[in-house]
Amino acid sequence: MKNPYYPIDTVLEEIITETPTIKTFVLRPARPIPFRAGQFMQLTVPGVGEAPFTPSSDPNVSEKMEITILRTGKVTEALHDLKPGAAVGLRGPFGTGYPLEKLVGKDVLVVGGGVGLAPMRALLYALFSDPSQYRKIVIKFGAREPAELSFRRQYDEWRALADNIFLETTIDVPHPDWKGHVGLVTTLLEPGKLEGTAIEEGYALSCGPEIMLKFVTLKLLELGYKPPQIYLSMNRKMSCGMGKCGRCNVGHYYLCVDGPDMCYDKIKHVPNVFG
Amino acid sequence: MCARWLERSRPPCPRQPYHFQKNRHMKFIDSTNFERLLKKLSEQGELFVPVRDADSGRLHIERVEEFPLPERTSLDGFRTVEAMKGFAQPLRAKVAEYPAPEMDDLDIEERIPVQVIVGARACDVAAMSLVDSVQIEGEYTDPFYAHRRGKMIVIAADCTDCGDSCFCNLVGGRPWPEKGFDLAVAKAGGGYLVESGSERGGRIMEENGELFAEAREGLEKARDEARQRVLEKLAERNRDYPPADEVTEPLREKLTDAIWNKEAARCVECGACTNVCPTCYCFLLYDTAGDQSCRRVMAWDSCQVSGYARMAGMANPRPRLADRVKHRLYHKYDYLPLSHGAIFCTGCGRCIDTCSAGIDMREVFRNVLGAAATQGRTRG
Repeated sequence: MKNPYYPIDTVLEEIITETPTIKTFVLRPARPIPFRAGQFMQLTVPGVGEAPFTPSSDPNVSEKMEITILRTGKVTEALHDLKPGAAVGLRGPFGTGYPLEKLVGKDVLVVGGGVGLAPMRALLYALFSDPSQYRKIVIKFGAREPAELSFRRQYDEWRALADNIFLETTIDVPHPDWKGHVGLVTTLLEPGKLEGTAIEEGYALSCGPEIMLKFVTLKLLELGYKPPQIYLSMNRKMSCGMGKCGRCNVGHYYLCVDGPDMCYDKIKHVPNVFG
Repeated sequence: MCARWLERSRPPCPRQPYHFQKNRHMKFIDSTNFERLLKKLSEQGELFVPVRDADSGRLHIERVEEFPLPERTSLDGFRTVEAMKGFAQPLRAKVAEYPAPEMDDLDIEERIPVQVIVGARACDVAAMSLVDSVQIEGEYTDPFYAHRRGKMIVIAADCTDCGDSCFCNLVGGRPWPEKGFDLAVAKAGGGYLVESGSERGGRIMEENGELFAEAREGLEKARDEARQRVLEKLAERNRDYPPADEVTEPLREKLTDAIWNKEAARCVECGACTNVCPTCYCFLLYDTAGDQSCRRVMAWDSCQVSGYARMAGMANPRPRLADRVKHRLYHKYDYLPLSHGAIFCTGCGRCIDTCSAGIDMREVFRNVLGAAATQGRTRG
């Protein structure tokens, strides 16, 4: 019988610095790990522990995986100190992943903030594998400052992939090196800025800090999105990944099996859902 | 019940599901032969029996390695101080060692001993069945738990009395076991009436047929009368408290936090209630580094302590003690009924006995109903 708590031996092949606090770790597990965009992995730093991350790489590639991680706690600090060649471990994938089948033929709005851009990139790769399946792919990315916008090197390449892909970025406060939009990511969600998105024919998916998710949700509702059209990557402490250890609940759902991307319609009744 | 849970494939539970049969075959075993039976079963694995503590008068579960049984072994009274859950989910246990490929694909079953649990009461066997639905059924199975449960031999017993904190009658339970055991015994006629509740139980009775006799006429009636007496005593003791199934609806009515602030004002955040609870299964996984390899350990955890759901960067969905006290209630009486179709409380009352702040779950039920009624009037 397979032991679900054993981490698959994995080699850390490469480390890409995205921002001063965010790095992308290129991982090669001993056996391929197929995953769906939005599903998450438990990444083990030997002897330190494991923490949950959604891969930021193309879900069509299973022998290699990229995970983009903010340095913020015990496991991530140990990770950020590792060198290429280090041995780590992976368990997963866990969770349901994004509802890609629902997005076909729709106007897709993708809203990411800070390190929340990481899981969104896996979703974008999935959408980009055939952009013509979707009416529009409208991407809104925000970060505190220019240096904190992950994957900047790829933005122009993505815009050029197809005519129905639109990407706009913003930073929270003015910065001397920044000539683009300034303001919270919600300021990119004004009616005139949605590239003609047909809201009634759309889905909005968002990932970022909880406070951002709260205000993005309020903005989306104001724009006319209905709760079933909104998907949020909720933040909780996923651990076992199997709905057993009990710590990642939102109401009666466990994010590790029912999420981590939750349809807002399912969780809108939960008191203090955004913490 | 949540649709997603229903959709998931359910692997067969290692314990044959037991369905209540009206005319279950009943046998009689005298005390001497019962001890012989236990001795025989102890050859298969580790034997645990309830032993009464001379000072407190309470029953504790003790391992028996030699016969005769300890002098104070007793199947009288009510449940032991300790819940059964530790036999299926130890307080702390290694679940992986890495890198070590043999731990990836391991033959767990061989490493896990047979445990014979004697004298488990209805509240405890019911609790184990509830936890089985989390740890075994559904998309994922915890192989360690499943094998421990699969190899466990459970000999349940009737309660011949109830404790001050017992309230199984408020959660739909009875002070005698009806399912979830291999054998169940009830004191009668200088020995025990025995019935089997599983295929394995039936086999044990067959293989040890010489130890059993036909149940004399009238014994079953005497047993049923004894059961009714305990049930009446329970009902009398808990007459001022509402049944737990009346609590779930008010919880869903979105009670204001005033009631949780009030409940939490007494709580000292020790986590004893979740430790002693037979249905509290939540756990922590942590890793430790050794010279050659690293270990992953599973340990009991408590949702009542502040670090339980805290994430990296200190974000915490339940930062206040009142949030956590509330969460414990909601998890047992609202969330698990939605996800697993049952209230996860069997009325054993251990949380009441152990709480140093004197928080009584039955009073919490009453307070919830009271708060809902008051809020209703306010809204009125």
